Amino acid sequence: MNHMIFEVGTALLLVAIASLIAGKLKFSIIPFLIVLGMFVGPHAPVIGIFDFTFVKSQDVISLLGRIGVLFLLFYIGLEFSVSKLIKSGRNIVFGGTIYVLLNFIIGLVYGLVAQFPIYESLIIAGMLSVSSTAIVAKVLVDLRRTGNAETELILGMILFDDLFLAVFLSVMSGLLLGGATSIGGIFLSVGISIAYMLLFFVIARKGTPLLNKLLNITSNEIFIIVVFSLLFFVAGFSEKLHVAEAIGALLFGLALSETEHSKRIEHLVIPFRDFFGAVFFFSFGLSIDPLTLGDAAWLAIGAVVLTILANMVAGMMAGRNAGLSHKASTNIGLTVMARGEFTIIVANLGIYAGLMPLLKPFSALYVLILAILGPLLAKESKPIYGGLNKIFKWSKPKVKDKIKVDNAQ
Amino acid sequence: MGIIRESDLPGIGKKYQIDTVSGDKMVVIIHDDGRREIYHFYDEDPEETISQVTLEDEEARQIAAIIGGMSYKPKVLETVQVTLEELVIEWCKIEASYACVNKSIAELQVRQRTGATILAIVEKGKQKINPGPDDLLSANATLVIAGERQQIKQLKHLLQNG
Repeated sequence: MNHMIFEVGTALLLVAIASLIAGKLKFSIIPFLIVLGMFVGPHAPVIGIFDFTFVKSQDVISLLGRIGVLFLLFYIGLEFSVSKLIKSGRNIVFGGTIYVLLNFIIGLVYGLVAQFPIYESLIIAGMLSVSSTAIVAKVLVDLRRTGNAETELILGMILFDDLFLAVFLSVMSGLLLGGATSIGGIFLSVGISIAYMLLFFVIARKGTPLLNKLLNITSNEIFIIVVFSLLFFVAGFSEKLHVAEAIGALLFGLALSETEHSKRIEHLVIPFRDFFGAVFFFSFGLSIDPLTLGDAAWLAIGAVVLTILANMVAGMMAGRNAGLSHKASTNIGLTVMARGEFTIIVANLGIYAGLMPLLKPFSALYVLILAILGPLLAKESKPIYGGLNKIFKWSKPKVKDKIKVDNAQ
Repeated sequence: MGIIRESDLPGIGKKYQIDTVSGDKMVVIIHDDGRREIYHFYDEDPEETISQVTLEDEEARQIAAIIGGMSYKPKVLETVQVTLEELVIEWCKIEASYACVNKSIAELQVRQRTGATILAIVEKGKQKINPGPDDLLSANATLVIAGERQQIKQLKHLLQNG
């Protein structure tokens, strides 16, 4: 225990350096932190007083990472408002449904074709279906696309995807963590998970006045203590019911999302989400032995190719259905392609439930490739659209426009 | 009036799309962290941006005031005024030659003789909002004064001639 703080401090310092580099390169920190985590770890050397193996501190680091997951999903829950989704309109529901269905089915078929058992295939399907809210939002802001016509649809689809994540994780944790073996037992534990989730939806809809009163605390100090302790309690309690703790955090966020305190909580949570979230990506990398990556390489590359295709098709369908141009629709597919935190969370649920360890290097490679490739493809959307346009002949090149653009530059 | 469409961008902020009467398409994004972004699109191709501007919260407020026609900054040191019905707010710089230099507000009997109120004394590097009777008026300070038009006129006379 002696040098624990020093070890954790060293790890955090590395996290900080990787984040700075990612910031300099104007890139999402997610792939950097995962790669950093993989480079250090049990096989890394001990240099002088610096112990880069982090063996003794691994438990602490992974605990901090788990806390990161709680904050990440708690924040998603807060941002996600049930009434917003109800109001979100037909286009988002259509786009979101197409998106989730297409990716999920492709993932499931891919898993089964690659001869994985059914649970593993379901986990793979889930991993392929959940886009990275963090990366997508960052890409939109960084590429200055927030003003574009397709932005609302993209964010709406992501929101829809988050809802799918909640349902999927609830059902899967019922399936995997419930420990049921008979068909009846499986139905019971999945039923408990779904009922638990519905309970929170009802609280979000009906319990808001009571929560408003309960959280009417002037002191920021006491407010934060109350909210965070409830967050940890609800997450831990969910675990007891065999519902993943991450889902507990998400549902608790959902319950608070309709209260008048949601903005205040969001502001308080963001620093914690950012800090512990970073440790989460690092600790995920730390838990991966780079030597095992080779086993999953082809599998991951195949999944990446399928994801790119599925996202392009789903983006095109969602965009065209909403009356957007082919160009804007291409942007949708390219932007929502990024994979990150949620894919890892889904994979971790599978690992935690004792499914095949291959899921871990698979998820690492899959996330790494798409966390890097996704934003790059989004950035290069113009030439990609140009290339696709040559094949599909969506729009004839307009000479007049061309001159106009040239003049402006 | 043009058409303004408002929508939420979850996780980012709020979006306002403005189609002006003159045919310009413009989008304003208010980020949750206070940043503002303004995009301006081509008339013929509403998907291509001509330009975009990023503003900090404070800059955005200043520019809003300029566009709104209510911009005033004591730095410019001209008599800029705001009128709200009968009430006038004005900026007035004290020149070194004024009779009021180094007199206190109580000495000048500002309120009794003019009815106007000194809201603030702005000097280089410091400002005093809602000054008391003992605060001195020094040369080169700028006063923010409020009152009816006639009262403001009297106060200016008082400041100059004592």
